[in-house]
Amino acid sequence: MSRADNRLKNTARSLREIVFDLILLVVLAIVLVPLVFMFTASFMESKEVLTMPYRWIPSSFHWENYVQAIQGNDMKYFYARNILNSLIVAITVTLTNCVFAAMTGFGLAKYRFFGKRAVLILVMATMMIPFETIMIPLYMLVNNFGWQDSYMGLIMPFLVNAFGIFMMRQFLLTFPEDLLDAARIDGLNELSIFIRVVIPNSIPAMTALGILTFRSQWDSMLWPLLVTQSEEMKTIPLYITKFTTEKYTNEGALLAAAVIASIPLFVVFFSLAKYFIQGSSVFSGTKG
Amino acid sequence: MKSGIEKKKARWGWFFVLPAIIYFSIFSFFPIINAFRTSLYRWNLLSLNPPRFVWFENYIRLFQSEAFWNSVKATAIFTVGTFSSLLIGGLALSILIFSRKRFRTFFQMALYSPAVLSTVVAATIWLLILDPRGLGNSVLNAVLGTSGKDYQWFANPDMSRISTIIIYFWKYIGHFTILFIAGLSSIPYTIHEAAIIDGAGPWKKYWRITFPLLKPTVVLVCVLSLIQCMKSFSTQYLFVQSGAPRAPIDVLTLSIYDTAIRDHQIGRASAMSIILFLTLILFSWAQLRLSRSEEVSFQ
Repeated sequence: MSRADNRLKNTARSLREIVFDLILLVVLAIVLVPLVFMFTASFMESKEVLTMPYRWIPSSFHWENYVQAIQGNDMKYFYARNILNSLIVAITVTLTNCVFAAMTGFGLAKYRFFGKRAVLILVMATMMIPFETIMIPLYMLVNNFGWQDSYMGLIMPFLVNAFGIFMMRQFLLTFPEDLLDAARIDGLNELSIFIRVVIPNSIPAMTALGILTFRSQWDSMLWPLLVTQSEEMKTIPLYITKFTTEKYTNEGALLAAAVIASIPLFVVFFSLAKYFIQGSSVFSGTKG
Repeated sequence: MKSGIEKKKARWGWFFVLPAIIYFSIFSFFPIINAFRTSLYRWNLLSLNPPRFVWFENYIRLFQSEAFWNSVKATAIFTVGTFSSLLIGGLALSILIFSRKRFRTFFQMALYSPAVLSTVVAATIWLLILDPRGLGNSVLNAVLGTSGKDYQWFANPDMSRISTIIIYFWKYIGHFTILFIAGLSSIPYTIHEAAIIDGAGPWKKYWRITFPLLKPTVVLVCVLSLIQCMKSFSTQYLFVQSGAPRAPIDVLTLSIYDTAIRDHQIGRASAMSIILFLTLILFSWAQLRLSRSEEVSFQ
């Protein structure tokens, strides 16, 4: 091959790379613009949010948008309470999910007992049931228990998730048997083996599962919509929906509420990005 | 005969799995049986008449009702629109990112960042961007060379469908890209090398090597996202709440919610949810079949 040919080929390649880079940068800009919009507009006056052409830097910073978002239009601070509700529900569900998933997964991965196959099939069958199908009977069940409009009602239907169990079982199948036997020889009973050997060594898998669970709870809308009535018991997604439709809401304050709602997830994302993406990419089929 | 230790271990096994079994019986199996039972009754929550057993009347009425078929259509349009654009966009972007050597992680993280937001927050941002006076109109006007035209992102039936699709696309494109990049990196480099030695150009290499080997990933991602899209609720709910016309975006889940909560027709709503359940089962089964026959090994 002649030198000129080679040079031509190289130019073609670098040209292609430049075109690729340009496309990527354009896509990136399109993806990031709404995020930048949310953040900058949350400091703007209502007028300015919808002024075209859009000013990417607020002419003056209106921190009172954040105050209005927290206070609400009726000055009753329901948003603060609703954020607390979301945190209570999401954290409780995350913890119980991790513990029960690890426990059941451990039982299924490391013990032989009569009916184990049936149990495994049962867990897989539960994974197939979409929440949307059982939400009405669940709603009636929760009413019968008298859990309407309460934390019990918000939390109980999500206490254990079949998907988490399956995920932890797959993870624990590869757990070294020697480690368990060593602990047995040291005189630990099975429960303390689980607590003191299995759990500490499953932190990465449980973190991925925990983040996945926390996200889906933070995002959950359909169930809280069914089960809560009072403003005090609502969660963040419900508050934002209501805030959107209120006549006196100013656009800046609405986006301020959105920014506040996003802070916990962004903190987790930037500190634990690996687990964040890992959990969602392997198990993207669960509740959204 | 089993030894004592084995027996003891078997008891512990049951000890670990029993809580979950009891829980699922109450909060999954009992409700699903109940959902099916309820779907055979004419059951109005507010009516004083007791629920009446009507066999499959709810299903028959659903199949005859225009509103139900409209929901099916809205769900189908949303699902197909969202997932085909995500599939094509995700594949293209993953190849672009995968072909470069530097900043790979940066691009992945940046594209993924909208997925961090909750769905309601994403919908709220776009509600303001797509406002008649908002960013969406001015950008589209600039691109299409029109001036001051309102594209009616919410008011126009077709546009409101497109708007919900745009929101989902924006939120999940990074997620799809990352899934496909994971699939691409699982293809051993030696196969690419062999293709290059055999004289395959970049395009030929993509069509003949990369795509066929990526197929299992594609199938898996497709089915999972199809199921996800078919259950979408929040975006459409927020749209309707803020005044968009209901019919074009009245997806199944939204329709189930309204039938049960607004109209108090528990039986009819349950019938709809059972239909949704069976459809999803069908998709999962198809995925299982497809992925089994598409198993690729790199030995």
